[in-house]
Amino acid sequence: MPGQIQDSAATRAARPRESPLALGVRRILRRPSSRVAFFVLAVIVLVGLLAPLVAPYNPSAQPDIVALKDLPPSLAHPFGTDPYSRDVLSRVIYGARLSLMIGVLATIVSLTVGVAYGAISGYAGGFLDAVMMRVLDAFLSIPRLLLLIGVLVAWPGLSIGALVVFLGLTGWFGLSRIVRGQVLALKHAEFVTAAQALGASRRRILWRHLLPNLVSPIVVAATLGVAHVIVLEAGLSYLGIGVPPPLASWGNIIQDGADQPATLWWMSLFPGLFMVLTVMTLNVLGEALRDTYERR
Amino acid sequence: MTAPLLSIRDLHTSFYTESGVARAVDGVSFDIGAGETLGIVGESGCGKSVTALSILRLIQPPGRIETGSVIEFGGKNLVTLDDADIRDIRGNRISMIFQEPMSALNPVFTVGDQVAEVARVHAGMGRRDAWERAVEMLELTGMPDAEARARQYPHQLSGGMRQRVLIAMALMMKPALVIADEPTTALDVTIQAQILDLLLDLQKKIGTSILMITHDLGVIAETASRVIVMYAGEVVEQAEVDELFAKPHHPYTEGLMHSMPHIGHDQERLNVIPGTVPAPTEWPSGCRFRERCPYSWDLCESEHPPLYEIGSGHVSRCHLAIEPERRNNPHPPLVVQAGVAAA
Repeated sequence: MPGQIQDSAATRAARPRESPLALGVRRILRRPSSRVAFFVLAVIVLVGLLAPLVAPYNPSAQPDIVALKDLPPSLAHPFGTDPYSRDVLSRVIYGARLSLMIGVLATIVSLTVGVAYGAISGYAGGFLDAVMMRVLDAFLSIPRLLLLIGVLVAWPGLSIGALVVFLGLTGWFGLSRIVRGQVLALKHAEFVTAAQALGASRRRILWRHLLPNLVSPIVVAATLGVAHVIVLEAGLSYLGIGVPPPLASWGNIIQDGADQPATLWWMSLFPGLFMVLTVMTLNVLGEALRDTYERR
Repeated sequence: MTAPLLSIRDLHTSFYTESGVARAVDGVSFDIGAGETLGIVGESGCGKSVTALSILRLIQPPGRIETGSVIEFGGKNLVTLDDADIRDIRGNRISMIFQEPMSALNPVFTVGDQVAEVARVHAGMGRRDAWERAVEMLELTGMPDAEARARQYPHQLSGGMRQRVLIAMALMMKPALVIADEPTTALDVTIQAQILDLLLDLQKKIGTSILMITHDLGVIAETASRVIVMYAGEVVEQAEVDELFAKPHHPYTEGLMHSMPHIGHDQERLNVIPGTVPAPTEWPSGCRFRERCPYSWDLCESEHPPLYEIGSGHVSRCHLAIEPERRNNPHPPLVVQAGVAAA
């Protein structure tokens, strides 16, 4: 009997270290719906990353603007061609690359600003916190799309880099509220006092002790944030103030066929389908992450 | 006694709440000698934990240590030290062991990382060296299979093991003073004795002083050489541990002793001290224990008792020191009388 107890203690001790985040990811993938979502998203991301290898044609090449334009889907052009005779499949593949990249980069901007703003506001507390939150309220009162349209119309011809920055700078308000709330709740936790009692500085406590505890809600917000940015970018590009042509983004491709949506149906169906799939899978994964995080 | 290691004079710590100013610690003075174990005992809300937190200046707003309070350590007043200097003392020269080891550990880091962090902050050690020190420290606290346990998260350890982790963190830098705030309250009885033995054993090896804060007179009897009894933000009695158990003077100390169960005594109900500690926003005038005391008389209402000298090193904040014969005539305490009248 004592041998048995020893054994179980030994196996428990031998279990490899697993961070709470890794544990969460494993728990999510146990759900069939998230497994499917994860797989679909992985394929889209991979296709985007490997665009030059996967795309059958050059996405900007206009081989024959008279004979090869507006072709419906066929074996040579599975997604058809556009009014400039470009291959829509290749453009959708390169569009995946651009749209995902914009989504991820803009979200990184949002995370950086939002986490820093929320963490400082929550940790500082008092007057600074009150001022920072009122400023946030002011930002939040302006609809994001309206704000973006205003900026982009005022500065026409912005580079993609600037577009990413603006998308990011308009997307951190909600996240910073979440982070502030969590920091506020955690800053009086006993392990914070314990860290203080061991001589950790305020900065060390905030970045090394508090923020790692917020990884789960931040990952949830980031996942949903990427989906939101992709939709916004497509909308802005469709309006002609997003990604500048002739670059292929999903919104741009739909815009190219916008004159004749009934006859050139393949020009809105395929990029739209990819966009919907991406956004849906991101949302499914985000919700699943949120569920496991909130259950704990 | 030679020059004390830590000397507290007239410590006042108050919390400025919306319902008034709570004087949680109201004029506390005592010394701790080098290598000594001093016990502070008292029920919840008497100010013992706030005293402990004040020493390390861990009082959060709306609480603050009032000016004029002196906590002298190593020739400096900790109350007026600047932030960088007090951080240098925390965890390094004076460290603290908390009551609830689960909540005192950060849930998202391995326990080894958390022990190692102390060495990284105070000794400027690199990641690898600090980790090795941490594992050594955990071995020293009797952690079974320390190397593997160090790689686990707090929730994967038992309560006793977690408390060993906190002890390893507290003793990492071989501090001059360890403040142990109810270090065994959250543990099983069998583990409690192990942890206390471990603390005393390590104290001998390192030569540190311990400030043992507890509500459990049993813990005091086992560990402390000198005892301070706190009530309502004040020191009410102080004595060597043997003297205190043999001749408790203050009625509150007496009450605490009587409320301990005794094996062998045929007793239907446990003795209790009637009533509760008054609210710290409005300490009663005169003696703060008056309403719960079976000996109180009019002097107790009109005059706040000073610390009377009872014997060598034995002081008590009770007017019985000047009228000892009143101890022979106990009466039902005021709170009990009020309760009867109300019913």
